[in-house]
Amino acid sequence: MIEELRNKARELLKTKQVEAVIGYQRASDGLSAIPCVIRSEEEAGRLIWDAACVYNLCGYLKDFRAKKLGIVAKACDVRAMIVLISENQLNRDDVFIIGMECCGVVDEKRARVSGRDGSDISSADKCKSCASCVPLAYDCLIKEKREKAKVSEDADKDKYEPVRKLEAKSLSEKSKSWKDEFKRCIRCYACRQVCPMCYCPRCVADQFMPVWFSKAGGIEGNFSWNVARAMHLAGRCIDCGECERACPVGIPLRDINRKIEKDIKELFGYEAGMKTDAKPFLACFDKNDPEDFIK
Amino acid sequence: MINPRTQELKNSRAESWEPKIAAFLCNWCSYAGADLAGTSRREYPPNIRIIRLPCSGRVNPLFVLKCLMDGADGVLIAGCHTGDCHYSEGNYYARRRFAILKKLFEFLGIDPRRFQMAWVSASEGDKWVKVVKELVEEIKKAGPILAKS
Ligand code: SF4
Ligand code: SF4
Ligand code: FES
Repeated sequence: MIEELRNKARELLKTKQVEAVIGYQRASDGLSAIPCVIRSEEEAGRLIWDAACVYNLCGYLKDFRAKKLGIVAKACDVRAMIVLISENQLNRDDVFIIGMECCGVVDEKRARVSGRDGSDISSADKCKSCASCVPLAYDCLIKEKREKAKVSEDADKDKYEPVRKLEAKSLSEKSKSWKDEFKRCIRCYACRQVCPMCYCPRCVADQFMPVWFSKAGGIEGNFSWNVARAMHLAGRCIDCGECERACPVGIPLRDINRKIEKDIKELFGYEAGMKTDAKPFLACFDKNDPEDFIK
Repeated sequence: MINPRTQELKNSRAESWEPKIAAFLCNWCSYAGADLAGTSRREYPPNIRIIRLPCSGRVNPLFVLKCLMDGADGVLIAGCHTGDCHYSEGNYYARRRFAILKKLFEFLGIDPRRFQMAWVSASEGDKWVKVVKELVEEIKKAGPILAKS
């Protein structure tokens, strides 16, 4: 698989189909993967592919706008690109998607604690509920040979089970537990920086006229920030899990994202990044959208 | 946890608390509806602070958040009935957006009574009065927002 990937990159660069290939290379610890940009054929040997390739690389695409690029992408990464294309942030013709069949990536945080020997490392939570190992769109597909790429066993279980459990708690319990979570937020905005969908040149969190929410680390500002972040991703988040992975204080941001994802799916039958021709969720409507909450 | 300014507000309000409610009304229907209630001398509780906007589609979820975090006990958004929006479809967009926000608030432990929406047309002065009366009652039951934080 890796050789196939490297050869593909060489070919693309040689025939000048792309100016560079964004992919993964081995980190200096010899185990993890880090992003890399390959600009010449000789460098292509640096590319790797395995379960350590956790990150969503789509965020880098915006740094190279209007250049023809190759990108190594898993199924979830491709969903992010589909959303970016539907929002006119990315031109489909500008990217060459090297789709990777994926059996799931590791849970980085847990792997770091247990030490990696490559055998029984649990896969990331996002992979447990992922329904497809093959990307929805690609220009070439690199197949998994190691073992038969399989859809995770849990995929058809109710993937919103954890969200439902949280919903079932009483209002005061919910209020208390989220306050305890948000209290710890240090407003580093790592969740925003890492998100492939957060491309605004000037985030509302950085605006001064008006100041939408306090920049001091109080509960009110933190609460507003987290609600604003989640709302700005409503119908756009593709559950790549990067925000939760990046959060240094471990706020369960995916619980919030998935709550919104679930409501949108149940109320409006919409899923972000699942159809290449769908309009952005909040930029369209249906005359029969539910309105039983309105007087 | 609470900033000093809001703490001050909280103390001053402790004895004779009356809810403060921010209401975003679209210019073409709901504002005219509220105006009609006024010109027809209908009485309703004075707890509401009306902010006039061109359309319910103009309401940004950040407006709602800012109100609630800066001490409003409740927020109301009112617009034209669907199909009647002056800009044809503004309220359809608003409806989608706030269906999600309302559910998210509840998920995060904010009393869903604190955030409500209503369609009020220019001829529905009576409906406006009813909506406000009910809303104020409900927010009174929900209590001051700061006591909850
Ligand atoms: S909000 Fe988080 S999970 Fe969703 S797209 Fe952004 S980084 Fe990925
Ligand atoms: S990454 Fe975590 S701590 Fe940093 S701003 Fe986001 S939620 Fe807060
Ligand atoms: S003008 Fe009244 S809702 Fe759009």
